Amino acid sequence: MDLYSLAFNNIRRRKLRSILTTLGIIIGVATIVMLLGVTTGVTSAIKDETNKYMYDVVVTPASSTGSYLMDGQTASDIRNRSELYDFREVTVFSEDIKGDRLFFEGTNNWKDVKLKTGTYGVVIYQSVADKYGYSIGSKIKVKNRELTVTGISKDTQSFYVFIDQSYAKQLAGNKVSAIYASTDGDPKTVSEEIERQINGISVETKSEKVNEVQEMTGQALLFTAIIASVALLVGIISVINTMLISVMERTKELGVLKAIGFTNWEIKGSILFESGLLGFSGGIVGVIFGIIGIIGIANVLKLTEYMYGMMPLWLILGVIVGSTLLSVLAGLYPAMRASKLNVVEALRNE
Amino acid sequence: MNNHVLEFRNVWKTYHMGDDLVNALAGLDLVLDEGSFTAVMGPSGSGKSTFLHVAGILDTPTMGVCRLNGNETVKLSKKEQARLRRNEIGFIFQRFNLMSQLTSLENVMLPMIDNDSQKAKEILDKIGLHGKYNKRPTQLSGGEQQRVAIARALINNPSIILADEPTGELDTRNANSIMQILRDLNMNEGVTIVVVTHNPVAADFADEIIHMSDGKIVNMASK
Repeated sequence: MDLYSLAFNNIRRRKLRSILTTLGIIIGVATIVMLLGVTTGVTSAIKDETNKYMYDVVVTPASSTGSYLMDGQTASDIRNRSELYDFREVTVFSEDIKGDRLFFEGTNNWKDVKLKTGTYGVVIYQSVADKYGYSIGSKIKVKNRELTVTGISKDTQSFYVFIDQSYAKQLAGNKVSAIYASTDGDPKTVSEEIERQINGISVETKSEKVNEVQEMTGQALLFTAIIASVALLVGIISVINTMLISVMERTKELGVLKAIGFTNWEIKGSILFESGLLGFSGGIVGVIFGIIGIIGIANVLKLTEYMYGMMPLWLILGVIVGSTLLSVLAGLYPAMRASKLNVVEALRNE
Repeated sequence: MNNHVLEFRNVWKTYHMGDDLVNALAGLDLVLDEGSFTAVMGPSGSGKSTFLHVAGILDTPTMGVCRLNGNETVKLSKKEQARLRRNEIGFIFQRFNLMSQLTSLENVMLPMIDNDSQKAKEILDKIGLHGKYNKRPTQLSGGEQQRVAIARALINNPSIILADEPTGELDTRNANSIMQILRDLNMNEGVTIVVVTHNPVAADFADEIIHMSDGKIVNMASK
């Protein structure tokens, strides 16, 4: 039998009060997990989406050329620029199929294409499947070649077919629609320089806008964290309150413990252990409720594909460790009071 | 030559009560030898309890020297004082002061240094609580609760037991039974015992009876 078992016993002995105290922590932790989880998931989704556009410059055919494709020579000139690196080409072209315009886009980032069924290779939008009656295995004739549909994506908003960029470029006669690149120099200066030296192209910089969006999502995360922390703070205050009452109620008991030879540090340790235990159990239950909340929110907002991103390990471990540590801190003042009790007065206390 | 377990040399304990100074102990001189059984009697306010608190290192004297097994208690750190209380002193209180949430066995084992439950059971058996290891204090009579408190006091083989009105909450039969247990412990195992009591029948179990008044010993009688 030691003081830590006694602390555990004290929590069990005062079940209702322990549950009510823990409830404050549970609500705080669940709120943090839900708010931060959902915000983190959405932020991560936004970042993933916007990372596609993380480039310093994008080179496209100038509108004056009347074409939306650059020839191979122009593309090669751009790729040979020493101030540019990390190139990404995209070729988009359209074909009239059964009287409607169908777009073909080359991609190297297949993970950006959200598959509903099938595999990568030739992926059509659901809207294309619906309109043309295509399914996996259907043949699409384009530029005297035949493409076999391998997958269907979830998107329904436009009429796109995704194929490998190298194949799209080949089908388009070695032409590209846009070249994305990074630069070590000032994107604005670099873009003006390239425009001046290569005819028939337009160079834009877009990363600043993307940076702004990402910065805003970061701020949203911080704001949510602050709001959620207030909820946890309320729970922690209830731990201070409970432990103070507990120390006052147990004055005589603490006096007896001192009389039978427990040191001030041992008494302090048992109070801190007790408050930490409240925080830890509140943290565990709070995380469970938080996860249930996230599942509910993700389903209501139709964000189930980001659901696992809403429950990062750092958040779950962080709130459990955080609520435990904060509860231990909350127990500091009551523990100091307990250890400083005058034994003789404590023994007289009824 | 007998070993001194407890030694008080010109010990004073002074309290402030408003503007007045009250001497709870007024130059107390006392030596208790190993294996002695002493009862301390006196009217309320005579300094009996203060003597017991200072002897048990629960309180510090204002002046004078207190030694427990040769250790000058005021010179020890708080931690050393706690260790000395745990290892060398067994306390028995008037109101038993058991932990209500713990069983008899757990109460006895609470201050235990080596966590030996068998030893705790043997002590409970010896004082007549065989089979009541798992009873909580509320399931025991007053006499039984005080026996558990005695077992707790004995668990670390202390060199002295300090009992503050151990029969104060008990009827005559239980009071005599508790005092007989203390008597047996003293006789058979040589445990030094100090009992503060108002009860002359309880005091009669001791070998030596000290009467206190105004913080001083006014009479000391040996059998």
